[in-house]
Amino acid sequence: MRLVRSLLVVAASLAALSAAKAQDVIKIGADLPMSGPNAEYGELFGAAANLAVEHANADKMLSKKLAIQFEDSQATPQQGVVAMNKLVSVEKVPFVLSAFTGVSKAIAPIGDKAKVVSVNGGGIGPDLAELGDYFWNVIPLVNLEIRVMAPYMVQERGFKKIALIYVDDPAGEAVNKELEQNVPKAGGQMVAQLQIPRNAQQFTSIAAKVRETNPDLVFIASFGAQQAQIIKQLRDNGVPQQLASYSAFASPTVAELPEAKGALFPSQSVDWKAAGMSERVARDWKAKTGKEPSAYVANYYNAVMVFVKLAQALEKGGQPINGENLLKQRKANGTFDLVGGKMEFLPNGSVSMPIQINEVDGTGAGKIVKAGTMAK
Amino acid sequence: MLLLQLVINGLQLGAIYALTAVGFSLIFGATKVFHVAHGAAFTIAGYLFWWIYAVLHVAWPVAALVAVVASVVFGLAMERFVYRPIQRHEGAFFTVFIAAFGMQIIVQNLTGTIFGRGFASVTTSLSRSVEVLPGLFVAPVAWISILVALVFFVALSLYLSRTHIGMAMRALSENPDLIRVFGLDPGRVAQYAFGIGSAIVVPSAILTAMTAGLNPAIGAHVMLISLAATIVGGIGSLRGAACGGFLLGLAENVALWRFDPQWSEAVTFVVLFLFIVFRPAGFFGRPHAAK
Amino acid sequence: MWAYVVNLLVLISINAILAVTLNFILGYAGIFSIAHALFFGIGAYGATFAAMKLGADFVSATAFGMLLAALISLALALPALRVRGEYFVAASLGLQMFAITVFTEWKSVTGGIGGLTNIPPARILGFELTEPAHFLVLSLACLAVIIIIIRALVRSSFGRSLKALRDDEVAASAFGKNVAVIKTMAVVVSSSLAAIAGSLYAFYLSFINVESFVLETSIQLMAMVIIGGTATLFGPIIGAILILLLPAGLSYIPHLPATEIGSIQQILYGLAMVLLMIYRPGGLWGFQEKPKANA
Repeated sequence: MRLVRSLLVVAASLAALSAAKAQDVIKIGADLPMSGPNAEYGELFGAAANLAVEHANADKMLSKKLAIQFEDSQATPQQGVVAMNKLVSVEKVPFVLSAFTGVSKAIAPIGDKAKVVSVNGGGIGPDLAELGDYFWNVIPLVNLEIRVMAPYMVQERGFKKIALIYVDDPAGEAVNKELEQNVPKAGGQMVAQLQIPRNAQQFTSIAAKVRETNPDLVFIASFGAQQAQIIKQLRDNGVPQQLASYSAFASPTVAELPEAKGALFPSQSVDWKAAGMSERVARDWKAKTGKEPSAYVANYYNAVMVFVKLAQALEKGGQPINGENLLKQRKANGTFDLVGGKMEFLPNGSVSMPIQINEVDGTGAGKIVKAGTMAK
Repeated sequence: MLLLQLVINGLQLGAIYALTAVGFSLIFGATKVFHVAHGAAFTIAGYLFWWIYAVLHVAWPVAALVAVVASVVFGLAMERFVYRPIQRHEGAFFTVFIAAFGMQIIVQNLTGTIFGRGFASVTTSLSRSVEVLPGLFVAPVAWISILVALVFFVALSLYLSRTHIGMAMRALSENPDLIRVFGLDPGRVAQYAFGIGSAIVVPSAILTAMTAGLNPAIGAHVMLISLAATIVGGIGSLRGAACGGFLLGLAENVALWRFDPQWSEAVTFVVLFLFIVFRPAGFFGRPHAAK
Repeated sequence: MWAYVVNLLVLISINAILAVTLNFILGYAGIFSIAHALFFGIGAYGATFAAMKLGADFVSATAFGMLLAALISLALALPALRVRGEYFVAASLGLQMFAITVFTEWKSVTGGIGGLTNIPPARILGFELTEPAHFLVLSLACLAVIIIIIRALVRSSFGRSLKALRDDEVAASAFGKNVAVIKTMAVVVSSSLAAIAGSLYAFYLSFINVESFVLETSIQLMAMVIIGGTATLFGPIIGAILILLLPAGLSYIPHLPATEIGSIQQILYGLAMVLLMIYRPGGLWGFQEKPKANA
């Protein structure tokens, strides 16, 4: 049985290798969670990226067809590294879509060494800006989001006492630190700062502790299935106060949760009705999935489009499409017209974009309650 | 008041834990099989209930019935097609453990593929709490959980002490050959154990779907708690498993009174570790079972 | 392609070290531990600390990690002395889960979930190992050394005492074997050698975080040992190769829907575990054991 299995693996590898050589496409990679508890993000990001590929091919933006090679990171560093190595050494892609802070930190050195560009459109930990020249972010990192949220919540909406429930990972801690600094600056007060483990599922007692502090607003910094559970259990257990979070509330699960109605969350400024790219993406996304798109859809669509536009420029200049040239091209001209308007890359590879504030209203994107402003 | 609130939350959660723990303990006590796939039965039952009731909008008794049938079939199938063949070979406990764990992985991923990987919850007014005293919020589901747990435990005790199969189950763990002498087939008795043990997780799966919600990985978490509760309560004692479940639910919540939330799970496992080192028989277990 | 293969081989050799050391207590001593990932982690964090804060080279950093692992393994030895079988599994489970919380919370040392980045490359005799191919030589060398050590131990009288303990503890102690000392030593040896894998891992990835040292990792290691074959020298290595190659091999099969690849891998992995346990519980490399006599 062992022998049979080894033979099967060898046969499959040979078959795939020969198939790969015969392909006449431009390939980019994606190192996303396809299985495991965070697979819903992988599905979402992958679908958004594929939509961009469809549009790029339909518009014949590049000389050959574009295709994405998906590999499963399972949202863990070790798997992410194996997947990245495959993309870099075997598939030889010049550009990889990434997600999740832990995975990104593990694969950044590989991309750096092999001169392959990695782009993050989902993770928001501020340390993602420090991962080297070849690691870019198309999502404004959380420190920028909080700098816009804090004054809005405290000054414009009058929520002075803020209770925070945050998950025990770099993103959650970054939120905590930023709120700690910015809420008092805006004239408010942090009445509770409760840190929870990532796999916690029971929040009735956390709700009790939150109640004790009598806040005006409860800020949740979590993600995935957990944040939906927090919302539901807070509401079930006598916490009717206003809810708010960072861009993680842009997930479909939260959008559809009745208990989340009215919650506030920032995202980069995306006017889905803006003519051109945004409207087309919204229309096609709705046709495909039956739902309104969220900011995450914009991010991963944009990430692919950044590649396409850079590659277009390289093709026009007769240069080969590889990571080094992509980086040079981005440094030469780092402003792009994408979903949500003009996006400009900062020298460190992250972006500053106008950040808007939305309210959960049952649709995918939510209702815009404050138009995009730049973080101060 | 916060403390009282935490105690009540602890009892509500403890009831859910106790039900799953008793199921596991019943199976393990009767058949000596370390049924790590018990969490998979929980997952199957919970998701089927959610799908039929919350997605297809069929009446909840039907959904509950389907969940019970599915869970029982799963338990029986595991016994018949996985554990029994292994035990025929050599039955090293670890072989059983790995096979069960492999099954748990399969079920977790199939669930994610079929039902989606997000979070599935049943929206019902039963989980909405009411302020019964200033600062004290209790939801109907709290009373229901505790009541359901008590009803099932009483029923189970009666079953085990009054019926032939029940008594045979208690004898099976001590001496399988004795059962044959009395004309019963140990295989059949084992099937009963698995069937009942798997059925008893269904109420806790339904209650979890109504309160904390389900996700495909929940089986593993449920399994850890069941195991801890069984050991703390004492292997071979159903009363112990139930108490262990309540104790762990209480510990997890009351710990928040003084500790930060991220240590609350650690509390569970420190308790487990200390019990094993200093009192492996648990509260009610039989002392000779330690080695 | 070669770089990809080298990467896989390094990870395989690191996991093989873990599997072989786990087999030492699991297969030979009958001590079923689900806490092995914990010592993997201690080795990794210890070596990283030594390298980043004390500027240690590879050998010193690894030795530091091994020392820490040996000390903490005494915590695991304690329940090993008192209980066996399923009880011990539960105790090791408790220890593993508690350790995960500590790894996550003690951020000043472990970096929590954010982890520790920019770990400097391994330095041996002044030579820095930055090329994966060079690193592969180091990891294979470590694997070879550990196999030699384990083999020597197994064939020594210590090894025979271990097997005697596994088969019948009461009889062994009746023969005058000091059960407590033997068990403790076995746990200490297994854990400190596992720490070497942790050190290799940290230097290779230049990044470690708690996510690599969780319960799933321990279970995966156990699966490698059981599937490959317990109480054999090469069984765990075969198990490590298979379990690490399975996801890689599957990723080559065309026409699998991208979103389901991960699930399919895991289902196959679970299915392999179930089927192997039913039909070939001795593992792929191990020998079929005779059916247990009825008590």
